[in-house]
Amino acid sequence: MSGRAVSEETVDRSTRLASPVDIASPALYLDGIPHEGFAAIRETDGLVWHPYGPVGDDGADGGFWAVTRHADVREMSRNPELFSSAIGHTNLWDLEADALEARRSLIDSDAPDHTRLRRVVSRAFTPKNTRNWEGMARDIAAELVEDFAAGGGGDWVEQVAAPLPIRVILAILGVPLEDADYLVELTNHLVEGTGDASSLPDDAYGNTTPTRLLPFNSPASHALFEYAEKMRQLRLAEPGDDLVTGLLEAEADGERLSANEYRNFFQLLVFAGNETTRTAMIHGALAFAEHPEQWATLRDDPSLITGAVDEVIRWATPVLHMRRTATTDTELAGTAIAEGDKVVMWYAGANRDPEVFPAPFRFDVTRSDNPHFAFGGGGPHFCLGAFLARMEIQVLLEEMVARNVVLEPGSAPVRLASNFVHGVASLDLGVAPSGEGG
Amino acid sequence: MTDVVRVTVDEGRCIGIGQCELLEPEVFLLGDEDAISRVVDGATLDRTRAVAVVEACPSMAISIKS
Repeated sequence: MSGRAVSEETVDRSTRLASPVDIASPALYLDGIPHEGFAAIRETDGLVWHPYGPVGDDGADGGFWAVTRHADVREMSRNPELFSSAIGHTNLWDLEADALEARRSLIDSDAPDHTRLRRVVSRAFTPKNTRNWEGMARDIAAELVEDFAAGGGGDWVEQVAAPLPIRVILAILGVPLEDADYLVELTNHLVEGTGDASSLPDDAYGNTTPTRLLPFNSPASHALFEYAEKMRQLRLAEPGDDLVTGLLEAEADGERLSANEYRNFFQLLVFAGNETTRTAMIHGALAFAEHPEQWATLRDDPSLITGAVDEVIRWATPVLHMRRTATTDTELAGTAIAEGDKVVMWYAGANRDPEVFPAPFRFDVTRSDNPHFAFGGGGPHFCLGAFLARMEIQVLLEEMVARNVVLEPGSAPVRLASNFVHGVASLDLGVAPSGEGG
Repeated sequence: MTDVVRVTVDEGRCIGIGQCELLEPEVFLLGDEDAISRVVDGATLDRTRAVAVVEACPSMAISIKS
């Protein structure tokens, strides 16, 4: 080994239990991202070893390295051979080997499996294809925004932020629109799986699979798998001009997706193509309601909308972290990391790093340089749907500007108890009477 | 004086993320069939913009031809 090799003895975690706030506690997120906790970790030299879960005899599951600085998240993201997505789990807790295998998707794969899978699906999400969906997304956004304004406001989540992305991803997949509510219901249950409690019994939706083998430990994943299989049968019998057909027909290196790869990927698309964009639209709307001068700036100069989209995404940081596992003894930020250690990239911390973002806690649609990591810190796992998400948020803002829909704060948002997604269950917003506001 | 360079894509590393086409649509085009990025014949870039697109590629598949 090289001189960078470290032994267990030199990895001293005991001196680094300095994290002042338990950033892994889902309940903490009911009050929003614990930014002061992330700031304290960011400002600590090296990496902070953060306690998490029971400490086994080997100390293996006793915590993770909390990576919260922009530069460190970037370095990790671009070194997937050192920081694996396929070992353990990409969430904080470890999965048993059979569960990991059953649940494996693009997100928890390394090269070469990841490369093959990613190539199968990349062609669907190119900038060019995304542009082809823009008109469809714009029509949906316009209708939802008009209805919301006509009603004088209400629950932004239920009326705009949830239906817009799910309708778009379902149209792309070729799934009937009338199933949108059912699929939103299922993905809401998946989000519960990242928090402390599930509201579902293990046998919900006719599930008979042990929940530990299902994504998010949720029986709702069983229902999504069943739905994916129904779509597969439908499109094998009658191919369409849609993504499900594309996935079934796609080949990479002469191979098609296996049945398990297909259903995990369908599940991933319905979840990630829906929940994350919804979250960005929720936090964006709340930010504009709370900072009316920012909305006025945008309305007066719509050329700022493209930049505003990225500021909304930075502000929202819909996915709070991704976890990796060290494949070898290595080093990050001057801290020795041992093979097998959990190392967690906290995008929530990186996106408020003052080294990169001047006045990071200011929501500023005129921010010119905005290298946020809400789509990941680079590297092969960079968000597949980044162009799609940006396009959807862009058409939403454009349709709101075109109609001069000015949002006003209502009651406080109802946040989710999750350390993984920056979710909001409901958000009451008002709409300023026409011609007023800003 | 502007320093103009040619860029190249390592097709073995490219996984079709598309940041290059977003930044420099005149230079990079993702294949319709395989979503692999290819450099338009004869296309060149100012060195500063080439460096930016090399930096932006999440797969680290782009390099400047010497």
